Amino acid sequence: MKDLMIDVFEFPHIPYWFTIRQAIDIVKKALIDSEKCYHPMAILVFDEKYNLLGTLTHVDLLKGIEPALANIQADTAERQGSPAIPTLDWTTLFTQNSRGLAERPVSEIMVPARIFVQTEDPASKAVYLMTSHNLVLLPVLDEGKKLVGLVRMLELFDVLSGSVVKS
Amino acid sequence: MKAIIDRESHKKLYLQLYEIMKVKMESGEWEVDSQIPTEDDLCRLFDVSKATVRLAVSELSRQGYLKRQQGKGTFVCKRIIPEELSMVTSFRELMLEAGVQFTTKVLAQTVMMPTEDLALNLDVPEDKHLIYIKRLRLVNSEPVLLQETFIPRHICPQLLEENLETTSLQEIIQDHCGIPITRVQDYISIASLTRTECELLGLSSECVALMLEQLLFSRAAQISYTRSLKHPERFKFFIELERTPR
Repeated sequence: MKDLMIDVFEFPHIPYWFTIRQAIDIVKKALIDSEKCYHPMAILVFDEKYNLLGTLTHVDLLKGIEPALANIQADTAERQGSPAIPTLDWTTLFTQNSRGLAERPVSEIMVPARIFVQTEDPASKAVYLMTSHNLVLLPVLDEGKKLVGLVRMLELFDVLSGSVVKS
Repeated sequence: MKAIIDRESHKKLYLQLYEIMKVKMESGEWEVDSQIPTEDDLCRLFDVSKATVRLAVSELSRQGYLKRQQGKGTFVCKRIIPEELSMVTSFRELMLEAGVQFTTKVLAQTVMMPTEDLALNLDVPEDKHLIYIKRLRLVNSEPVLLQETFIPRHICPQLLEENLETTSLQEIIQDHCGIPITRVQDYISIASLTRTECELLGLSSECVALMLEQLLFSRAAQISYTRSLKHPERFKFFIELERTPR
């Protein structure tokens, strides 16, 4: 995992009490403006003792300021894969209400970090966990349970598919 | 040398303008009691927007360099600076008088990105990680001081692992990281506290307190920004200065 992961300090860090608005500001300044945006983009959320609590992607942040997006998952589950687009007044999305929602702490909208891999774990375990839990990033811990990096699907794909299909 | 704004720099334009104007006053180019150029003139002079000029001027006013007079303009203030006075060699982090026994409770020791107001107080690019430390100081188990410190992580990464209840920040920065502290700037003001801050200091809500903002430097580099809120009673700030030998 050591060779595949991205160093933890490549990702912006925030404490859980930061507001969604502050997180959006950080995405803009630390990732978009500085043009060093990894895909998937993510912010890491920590507690007072520097323990990882969760992650935030740009989609999570958008969901945090627009309830219609946050509700999508429930909707599609009901529709059982029907491709119909709901009849929404698109112009009302991301309007006045969003500004108030942006003042909530990020702890309310982050994706809690519950699944981890260790530095010595094989890539196949990481890919299994990410697929089964629908994760875009997976935190990597060292022997002392300290967060050292994150692994993403691109590198895992590269090493695992490469071992099957030799180019 | 003509001071100019560097648009390639990571530093905010208004901070650059702030520095330039500060130098003009400190060097005497802009004399005490003289009127500084108007907003429009400053915009033209430095090729910046009105918003930038306003931010720089308001920060200089806040720090006592400038005073605005309604309908007249903005003037250079006489600042009382204790010339040739420097910190005593054994600079104490806590500003408690010698001999006072205190304990430290570490409330937070984590990492964050700089927010807007921190960029002003700590000269770092906005994509650089900061170590954030929040400590409560107690004397006889009663809270006396609530301190929040922000240090760019690259300056002293091991700070995250250190035991801050037993080791002082200066000790870690100077002895463990090998960075000598050569200059200290203190700003003292009154701050309205948030409800959490009042609770931590054992005060009723809606209180104000003395705030000490402290910047540490190692030669030209700024190392840290600390904001300390003092319990209104319980102790006095202690700062000792000594005349530098000529």
